[in-house]
Amino acid sequence: MKRREFLKILGTSLTYHAFKVNDVIASNKSVVSLAEGKDYEKITKDAISALGGMKKFVKPGNIVVIKPNIGWDRTPEQAANTHPLVVKALAEECLKAGAKKVKIFDRTCNDPRRCYETSGFNAVFKNMKNVELKHIEFERFKKIKLDGVFLKEWELYDEALSADVFINVPVAKHHGLTTLTLALKNVMGIMGGNRGYIHRNIGTGLSDINAGVKSHLVVIDATRILLDHGPQGGDLKDVKVLNRVVASTDIVAADAFVTTFFGKKPEDIEITLEAYKRRLGEIKLSNIQVLKS
Amino acid sequence: MKKINLAKISQILFFILFLFLFVRTEYRGSDEISLAINSFFRANPLVVVSYFLANFSLNWLLLPGIIMIFATALLGRFFCGWICPLGTTIDLATKYIKKGKPLSFLKTNLKYYLLILLLFTTLFRINITGLFEPIAIFVRFLTFSFFPFFGEAVRSIWVGMYEIIGDKREVFSLIYNFLKSNILPFRETFYPFAFFSLFIFGLIIFLERFEKRNWCKNLCPLGTLLSVLSKFSLFNRIPMKLCNDCGECRHICPTTFDKEIFQNQDCILCIDCVLKCKYDRAKFIFTLKSNSVVNVSKRKIIFTGLLGGYFLSKMDLFYKNNNRLLRPPGVVDENDFLKKCVRCGECIKICLKNALYPATLEYGLANLYTPVLIPRKGYCEYNCTLCGQVCPTNAIPKLPPEIKKRSIIGIAVFDKNHCLPYAKKVNCMVCEEHCPVPKKAIRFDIKKETNIEGKEIVLKKPYVVDELCIGCGICEYVCPLTSKPGIEVYKVKEPLGSNSYGYNGDIKIS
Repeated sequence: MKRREFLKILGTSLTYHAFKVNDVIASNKSVVSLAEGKDYEKITKDAISALGGMKKFVKPGNIVVIKPNIGWDRTPEQAANTHPLVVKALAEECLKAGAKKVKIFDRTCNDPRRCYETSGFNAVFKNMKNVELKHIEFERFKKIKLDGVFLKEWELYDEALSADVFINVPVAKHHGLTTLTLALKNVMGIMGGNRGYIHRNIGTGLSDINAGVKSHLVVIDATRILLDHGPQGGDLKDVKVLNRVVASTDIVAADAFVTTFFGKKPEDIEITLEAYKRRLGEIKLSNIQVLKS
Repeated sequence: MKKINLAKISQILFFILFLFLFVRTEYRGSDEISLAINSFFRANPLVVVSYFLANFSLNWLLLPGIIMIFATALLGRFFCGWICPLGTTIDLATKYIKKGKPLSFLKTNLKYYLLILLLFTTLFRINITGLFEPIAIFVRFLTFSFFPFFGEAVRSIWVGMYEIIGDKREVFSLIYNFLKSNILPFRETFYPFAFFSLFIFGLIIFLERFEKRNWCKNLCPLGTLLSVLSKFSLFNRIPMKLCNDCGECRHICPTTFDKEIFQNQDCILCIDCVLKCKYDRAKFIFTLKSNSVVNVSKRKIIFTGLLGGYFLSKMDLFYKNNNRLLRPPGVVDENDFLKKCVRCGECIKICLKNALYPATLEYGLANLYTPVLIPRKGYCEYNCTLCGQVCPTNAIPKLPPEIKKRSIIGIAVFDKNHCLPYAKKVNCMVCEEHCPVPKKAIRFDIKKETNIEGKEIVLKKPYVVDELCIGCGICEYVCPLTSKPGIEVYKVKEPLGSNSYGYNGDIKIS
């Protein structure tokens, strides 16, 4: 080996980490749309149309699953659950795009009946045609091979897996262990079994799940966010009203962008960073194009 | 002309009401339960009398029962023949059961001794009448045995359908969802004593092999109490003996004519005799009773009552300090609770997260069938106040949500030998995530440590803020350790401070 070649190799190796593969591949910027306003249904629809409209994601006859966070026995003002009006707007858009059926469910942390009631979901979806607000039925969890780094297999909800379109609609809020809980963590709602188990390696675990279950569309409810004592809060002093909704097809980019609403760096959130490293999406704000509507 | 059997109609109506209220005793989307099966206990003289003897006070909830006492004194034991759902069940079953000879040991004054024993025990401040109270026996049979298995059977069919025909089962979803949201329990919970409760109920039905209404006339403490109360009742059957030329009443009457003499105080006013009398002689009119043939010596009563009651009330002092005997929210004084609880199992049935279970023998005989919160099985839902709403005697107080959220069930304690961040040096925090107290009773320190593999990591180490913990048990419930949980809730022996619902309301912790 000649000296020049040796130096080339040395130089490439040295700078390799600086030019991560992700950066080279990411020639197209990830797109995130942001809508602001007090009418939550309207801004949700605006955020979707900025991405090209629901027709881009939902084809006529599709079965759509919307997975909000309805995990806690808390009211919409307390910002622990996704706002039902955001989900309502999405369901309407899906039906307008020709969806055959829209299913909405979450594996709750508190009693499911109370969560669905207190969160305002029961009231909003009571009389909506072709929209099913369902409770989880445990026989529907199926062991799925993930071959992940941490999780080799896990029980996931069959209706979420078999849906033509899976829309992930978290609420943006604080979380003790993970600092923030956003779209990447919201998929825990389709996990069966002893899901608390993954807390011991949560970044890797959630990357494993998200690598296995693709969120075709991510809509993050930041109409009001929970700044402290999450993920269930309870004190209105911890709630900040932002009147924002963010949508993207890039789950990591959506999470990364919303992280800035909390005055935090996306790279400081372990889950987001891990997902980025696993190439599930873009974390660098400079590579994320924000469409305001 | 066929006469209408008003008693039968009343029995059926009350039976339907009973089942309706039983099914209604479940969370169906409203924070308030307006109608629950507790009506049957609140209108129950045995509950009233035992409550009074144990507490030397009464409670407005028991007003219907007080009215019932006066009604019984005036009209007689009509409860047994017109209302009692267990009596109705016995009447329905007894038709299909062949009768043998009456059991002689039941023909003694056994039922009086049983009643006296129970009432004297309450005088010594342990109210165990609920164990023998017929409505409680019936409700417990339904709650612990029948209902869970019924729910499980229907659900198994639904799950089985899914396994066979998959999503095509949705064709039947209308029927299933109707049953689920109106009749079936939300989730099937299996209770200790499921078979014991069934056994006791079965035993009462089995007694029908010997004679009609065997339980009612020979054992039932409520029936016995009613018969004592109706000793001077004014609404009675005439003639007050068997007629010489007929005597059919002896076979028709389920309770009163099994001895030569007409035992007036055992008459349950079922009016079978009136309807079946060929000569239209049997009637009910307002008149004084002619005879009463209870023959229990006062000495024996006092002897049985005092001695038996004393020993029964002291039988398991040993268990008094069970530090895992967690009571429903709002129960502050264990002794006070044992004076009031009727062991009807309603709180257990309605408990939203199925956290309450009937106490088994490991908590001692005196606690048998009283509600115990078992956090590993279920936790107390922060915003829920249902158990206090259905309790017929206020043993579990009915609390406004804001007070309930501060009432202390116990206190959570970490076991650092098991808890992951301490024992294994890995992050976890599932307990902290679920802690419902807005300011979080579980908090954590952030420490840089070297993990087992020698890597430097940031570790979040949880701890409990005693002043905020209410012992709801959700931390223990969700702890992901599959063996022993890393956090457990223990009973607080003496809550600090003077606030009767605990001390955590006013202390400010940032």
